[in-house]
Amino acid sequence: MIEAIKHAPGRIKRALDSDFFWKFRRSPVAVISFAATFLLVMSALFAPLLATMNPFDPASLNLMNGFTPPVTPSAFTGETFLMGADDQGRDVFSTILYGMRISLFVGFAAVTLGLLIGVTLGLISGYFGGWTDTIIMRIADVQLTFPSILVAMLIFGVAKGFTPPEYRDQLAIWVLILSIGLSDWVQFARVVRGATMVEKNKEYVQAARLIGRGAMPIIFRHILPNVLSPVLVIATISLALAIIAEATLSFLGVGAPPTQPSLGTLIRIGQGYLFSGEWWILFFPSVTLLALALSVNLLGDWLRDALNPKLR
Amino acid sequence: MLMFRYAAISALALACASAATAETIRWAGTTDPQTMDPHAVNSAPVLGFLNNVFEGLVRRGKDMSVEPALATSWEPIGDGEGWRFTLREGVKFHDGAEFTAEDVLFSYQRASDEASDTRSWFAPVSGVNVIDDFTVDIMTSAPNPIFPDSIANWMIMDSGWAETNSATLPDKENGNYATLNANGTGAFMVTDRQPGLSTTLTPFGGWWDEAEHNITEATFTPIDNPATAVAALLSGDVDMINPVPIQDAARVDQRDGTKVIRGIEARVIMLGFGHEADQLKYTAMAGEKNPFQDVRVREAVAKAINVDAIRQTIMRGSAEEASQLVSPAMRGYSDANAARTAYDPEGAKALLAEAGYADGFSFGLKCPNNRYLNDEAVCQAVTGMLAQVGISAELDAMPVQNYWPELRADNFDMYLLGWSPGTFDHEHPVRFLVTTPNAEKKLGSWNFGGFSNARVDELLPMVQSEIDDTKRQAMIDETVAIYQSEHAYVPLYVQPLVWGVRDNVELTQRPDNFFILRWVTMN
Amino acid sequence: MFSFVIRRILQALLVLLVVGLVAFAMFNFIGDPIDNMLGQERTQEDVDRLKERLGLDQPFVVQYAKFLLAAAQGNFGVSYEQGRPVADILAERAPATLELAAVSGVFALTLGIVLGVFTAIRRDGFWANVIMTLSLVGVSLPTFLIGILLIYLFSVELDWLPSFGRGDTVQIGGWSTGLLTTSGLTALILPSITLGLYQMTLIMRLVRSEMLEVMRQDYIRFARARGLSERTVTFRHALKNTMVPVITVTGLQLGSLIAFAIITESVFQWPGMGLLFINAIQFVDIPVMAAYLMMISVMFVAINLIVDILYVAVDPRLRT
Repeated sequence: MIEAIKHAPGRIKRALDSDFFWKFRRSPVAVISFAATFLLVMSALFAPLLATMNPFDPASLNLMNGFTPPVTPSAFTGETFLMGADDQGRDVFSTILYGMRISLFVGFAAVTLGLLIGVTLGLISGYFGGWTDTIIMRIADVQLTFPSILVAMLIFGVAKGFTPPEYRDQLAIWVLILSIGLSDWVQFARVVRGATMVEKNKEYVQAARLIGRGAMPIIFRHILPNVLSPVLVIATISLALAIIAEATLSFLGVGAPPTQPSLGTLIRIGQGYLFSGEWWILFFPSVTLLALALSVNLLGDWLRDALNPKLR
Repeated sequence: MLMFRYAAISALALACASAATAETIRWAGTTDPQTMDPHAVNSAPVLGFLNNVFEGLVRRGKDMSVEPALATSWEPIGDGEGWRFTLREGVKFHDGAEFTAEDVLFSYQRASDEASDTRSWFAPVSGVNVIDDFTVDIMTSAPNPIFPDSIANWMIMDSGWAETNSATLPDKENGNYATLNANGTGAFMVTDRQPGLSTTLTPFGGWWDEAEHNITEATFTPIDNPATAVAALLSGDVDMINPVPIQDAARVDQRDGTKVIRGIEARVIMLGFGHEADQLKYTAMAGEKNPFQDVRVREAVAKAINVDAIRQTIMRGSAEEASQLVSPAMRGYSDANAARTAYDPEGAKALLAEAGYADGFSFGLKCPNNRYLNDEAVCQAVTGMLAQVGISAELDAMPVQNYWPELRADNFDMYLLGWSPGTFDHEHPVRFLVTTPNAEKKLGSWNFGGFSNARVDELLPMVQSEIDDTKRQAMIDETVAIYQSEHAYVPLYVQPLVWGVRDNVELTQRPDNFFILRWVTMN
Repeated sequence: MFSFVIRRILQALLVLLVVGLVAFAMFNFIGDPIDNMLGQERTQEDVDRLKERLGLDQPFVVQYAKFLLAAAQGNFGVSYEQGRPVADILAERAPATLELAAVSGVFALTLGIVLGVFTAIRRDGFWANVIMTLSLVGVSLPTFLIGILLIYLFSVELDWLPSFGRGDTVQIGGWSTGLLTTSGLTALILPSITLGLYQMTLIMRLVRSEMLEVMRQDYIRFARARGLSERTVTFRHALKNTMVPVITVTGLQLGSLIAFAIITESVFQWPGMGLLFINAIQFVDIPVMAAYLMMISVMFVAINLIVDILYVAVDPRLRT
């Protein structure tokens, strides 16, 4: 593997030699948070291999295992759970792995959605200005007014009416993605719009326009690459925010279904057991969420400093 | 300057008020009573709260038995044409007005008006006649043996007060004087009302009955987040909360300074089926016949559910298994049918195979997630237990504001329902849940699945008008035997009542979950 | 300039109209208020009658038009839940939310600036790194969990602070304030921290990066070269110049403090507009939801408008 990288000509080697990568290796925070993120993402991806049971299969649950503390055998069945069992007798460790899959999927998909909409509208808005700009920015105002919970409820209600019954169980996930993604695009749009307004007056754009290139090629070939680094930073931070937003929506009652819980749903369920002494139902999912969001945030932080030319 | 002086005076007044805290009780519940009008809304939070402020002709004692209140006695008229109530003399309303038969007539007209939610209580009533100042005849269109039992929450309002303040009818949509103010004959007066924030009551000095309590002031605050309510109790910010989340009961009990008061509520939690629908609505095998129309499948569901496991884990041992639609504490409970279908997963599989569903099937289970104690967790457990006998429920849990419209629109194959009989009588759930839905006769209005049995429909009017208790019970027993053998519903358990109080509070917990202040003492 | 302002105000009105339209379109999907308004023993006839009386049987466009017409005359309708004018309820609840937002704003701003300056001047120091990392913990957990954990620690276990509500309040005119009583002030602590934590982190990071940038400027080097003390350089010269972006961002964040106090208010049972809104969603109290959303959008639109006008006033190139 390492051999392959060494001999790989061009891109990989260039990347490894780059200023960016050199900075990365020099920052312990960046290396640790990257490693943590990587580890968490991988364990979510390979959840079926690591988990001791499939927590999404209701037939495999034994209610009598409910509330079994960590590493103590259940009083009824004698089964032992590394991180204990929750109210349904689900292995908390396995449920976290599967739940993280959902949280990460929702997070990535929502940020991608927000990014695509936001960057496109931001570029168009910034480049063309005038009425186009006005309309897009006013839509952004409307969007900002609606708390994401309401957006989630609206989309949920509308989607329920139009989804065939057999796809309903997947519905909540898509609703979460749409509603978080939709409340996310405004910040991408605003940043990209601002950057575009600066870029479009620069000489290289003027030159491209003079030689008769169309608006779209200019926007996507010339301007886009130059506004990408703030977008990358926002995307990273948004990923952490989206994962947390999913938890909040779950708290407000529009989250992933309890039979297929995300990390957020697990925390929502677990917070009901804070006072009762079954701490493991809340503790382990919260620590996992904290580790995930913190490492992504730290990575975003480091990216911001690394990509900011003014701080070099 | 003026503003400052005003502020200083208010602060001083506050300081004085909080000096006399010895017998002040602060309590919290999930829902604020949405109105102070006893006839506007027929909901437990409103009726429970206003029971402290208003009184009816009869009231319920600590054991739920009916006892005299504003009427001192009552007797049937003739052959069951109605009931004659003799009223208590010398009773005063909070504003000092005297209570007479006119107020009873007025309160009947007000509470049975179209604008009033309590109208259905008076469906059997054909008229009210004032005989003299302290005698009232309430006529019924058919003999009605349980009528006095059914009006304990019908609260009497002063006719003069209502007219003076133009509140002769409840107005739910726009509100009126009676929405925010109350003038009853009860042991407590509403002295401060901030909707959604807090409501303060003080004892009524002119109350006709002898006070058992030693409260000088009582303040209610709604707290919707259960964890916050528990924290408020544990930290001493309130003296009583209802409910304590079941899982926190042990903690509240063990901690110094707080204790838990447990009981059994009148509410039975059950599973309902879509009987009427010819096809399942939420299934992978669209177009096939609805398996729940086969009684063997319904019985299999009853056998598949391990109610004891739910009781032990999710309910932490505080619920009671239910065999029928009312709890043993209710009038008309059928002792003859007290046995619940036993947990028998193998038997369930055999029944399913017999009915032709050896390979199982999939369907949709609807469930509220903020209506009953741990409702969502119970539905999840049900899903798991059904999966273990081979039928796969797709659980859809939602907040209650979305839940009822879904049920009304018949969007379910199976659903969870809790029922608390308003009259504390078995006739109530039979009327609402078991008889064939009939909008005109106001029957079966909560029978969402459309269960229908001709004999049950025949028995209900007979039960309603039978005066002889033994004969009546025999009819009820027959009804119960039918809905049990048909597995019209799968009764799961009777919901527990779990209240948390500070150690210095003594109170009485009634199965209707009403918090009655006149039985509270603070040490 | 004048025509720009007029144009923006007209656009803002249009935004409000669209917000209202979207709001009314979504109310149908939130649930049905009828079941909350009628008791257990209601009949289908009662349901239909009430729906007709409330106008819920009509298409949402008609409902919206009616709302607008009444709102234009200053009438925002009557709450389904409380049976009182929505305007009265909002006026009652506003002080709680505004005080909470103001106190958390002050908390976020003060602590954010102090920590921001500290982490900037000790850029690679141990404590600066600890603070930078710890501050991220606060934004890496959902707000509701932070609130519940604070209650658990400070109210239940330590019994230092109240677990819910506003404590004693004092009425001054139409305004109820918790700032004049001890119990009111202590009740503010936990919710303000919960609500302000996110903004605090944001401001701290902004101050830090602005400071780092300013400290590299020539005039700071000159100041140092002139032999001014490090303290004078930092506070007199550097910090002063970072304040413009900080104030802009804080202004914009004030709006979100009020709009997103929903979670904090519901965890702490804080009797403000956010709690009102959450209850309104649970009850499907359409008039309350409509009025609240309109109010929030007026606020956002106004803040955006002011910011835009300020930008134009500062940078003439943006005038089109």
